[in-house]
Amino acid sequence: MTVLETLLSGQLLFAALVTGSLYALIALGLNLVYGTMRLLNVAHGEVVMLGAYAAYWAFSAFGLSPLLVAPVVAAAGGLLGYALYRGIFKGLLADSSAAQVQRMESNSLLLFFGLSIVVQNATALVFTPNNRAYNYLGTVYHWGSVSMTGNRLAALCVAGTCCLLVAVFLGRSVFGLATRAVIERREAAFIVGVNVDRVQWLSFVLGFASAALAGVLVSMLGQFSPFSGFPYTIAGFIVIILGGLGNAMAGLLAALLLGVIETYGVALTSANMRSMLLYGAFVAALLLFPNGVFARRAAAR
Amino acid sequence: MRDLFPNRWWTVLWLSCLLLLAALPFIANDYVVGIGLSVLMWLALTQSWCLLSKMAGYVSLGHVVFYGLGAYLVVITWQQIPLPVAIVGAGALAALLAALVGLPVLRVRGPYFVILTFGLAELVKYTITWAESASGMASRILFGAPDLQVIYFSMFALAVIAVVMLTWVGSSRFGHGLRSLRENEEAAETLGVPVVRYKLIAFVLGAAIPGMVGGVMALRSTYFVVGQVFDPMISVTVIAMAILGGGDNARGPLLGVLFLSLLSELLWANAPLLYMVILGLVLIVFVLVLPQGIMGLLERKKTPSAQMLKDAAPPSPTRGGAP
Repeated sequence: MTVLETLLSGQLLFAALVTGSLYALIALGLNLVYGTMRLLNVAHGEVVMLGAYAAYWAFSAFGLSPLLVAPVVAAAGGLLGYALYRGIFKGLLADSSAAQVQRMESNSLLLFFGLSIVVQNATALVFTPNNRAYNYLGTVYHWGSVSMTGNRLAALCVAGTCCLLVAVFLGRSVFGLATRAVIERREAAFIVGVNVDRVQWLSFVLGFASAALAGVLVSMLGQFSPFSGFPYTIAGFIVIILGGLGNAMAGLLAALLLGVIETYGVALTSANMRSMLLYGAFVAALLLFPNGVFARRAAAR
Repeated sequence: MRDLFPNRWWTVLWLSCLLLLAALPFIANDYVVGIGLSVLMWLALTQSWCLLSKMAGYVSLGHVVFYGLGAYLVVITWQQIPLPVAIVGAGALAALLAALVGLPVLRVRGPYFVILTFGLAELVKYTITWAESASGMASRILFGAPDLQVIYFSMFALAVIAVVMLTWVGSSRFGHGLRSLRENEEAAETLGVPVVRYKLIAFVLGAAIPGMVGGVMALRSTYFVVGQVFDPMISVTVIAMAILGGGDNARGPLLGVLFLSLLSELLWANAPLLYMVILGLVLIVFVLVLPQGIMGLLERKKTPSAQMLKDAAPPSPTRGGAP
């Protein structure tokens, strides 16, 4: 096949869709936590990685189907998020005086970074630093000229459905309205009677649960190790820099765009370029929007 | 000078460190000299990091990029240009990179700056990994590297330069300008502090030293792997040391370096993963409980009146939200 044929085939598009839908699900959680509290959770990818290990463990030790344990893993992730919020961040957010808000943003990032180092290395201590993978739903389905393995198809369906559900939930429900209000103007939302505390802990729970769920899907697709979480954090950041805060549909589109850039970029060059492409896109996105998405919002006002 | 020697205890600590480290190669075996070398390396890296990140408050999570570039330059020019030229060139290359990316990168603030510097360092790492594998070089070995004493005293000089530079900057007009932009960049600019120029100069000065440190350390390991000299954990260790020490002068980092070097000496060889877990925990505990580091603890004990004044200050408006 020539390069052009490869590019035009549905195979690449399918791969880009799978990657993009996973990125969308991962970015969704980052978006909620960052949007409502301005906490840059760089340990988000580690939650993904923990979810992958949980699914791997359930599958290899008890023969449980990853898709069946997915809700349990997601619930465990949500519980972890709740514990972190109550244990550490609630106090931090309540205490910070105006002068400390700026410093708090950097400090919370270092805090999450410390957490991420602890989780990575503790996982490596418990499960060894080796790569893990298992075989699940490996059957190949054909649709026209596109061949799809069952696990990729399942990942695409689950991630896509979850993203759409959350998008509808944020768009239509009262909680979604409150969340978007907190993202837009935290103080104003508080004044008009939004229960900011509840929005914050629910954001933590939803954010961590979606990351753990994404981890289950990631584990079905290929190899992972205790240190493979960080690239997902970076991908999530690119998506929220491009897609904006609190807008689930824009995030979905940005994630698909990133999936396309990554998949087609690798197909055009080589697999060694994957990390370069990802970090290149990340640096470019941050340099174009130096203050993240704030700059654009401020300009629009 | 007062920044380095505020009282008798600090004078004793600095002088004993200086004497011990200077005498080490003549009185100890190679293993102990190796430990001394790593203390000097971390000292030089952390002090140079403080120049921008402590003084001006732009916390960089990508300090390793300068270290790695310096090492890479020395390795690829090995036995083609004289070594001293290569080491100085390593510093110049790192400074050049800082100068080139400085303007756009230093526009980015706060937590975005933190993750941007991390992303940049990783981007450079993967680019060089790709370039090396494209040229068919998985790793490189340096034959005929100078012996440990030469490496040791080069690093000694770099550490001294880094300490002197940070101390000198700290008491200069330039340093006060950097501190003012840390407190409030807009206000500093309004008052006529050349904010952009100051940030850029601090960034470039702070990059030259890790470039040379990386070049010298390449001679020590003699075996070059891209992933090793660009290991993001080097940046993390630098931050952990600086935060643990606290303060924006050269004293805090000294305490942080001594403490974490000791810890790593105890744990690194036998339990590297456990060491990393503890490093992460140190970061968490200090950010949460002691954001001012050990220095903050020392100063709080000594000047209770200042602390009481702070406590008595009227509460500033809270962030809204969180009931």
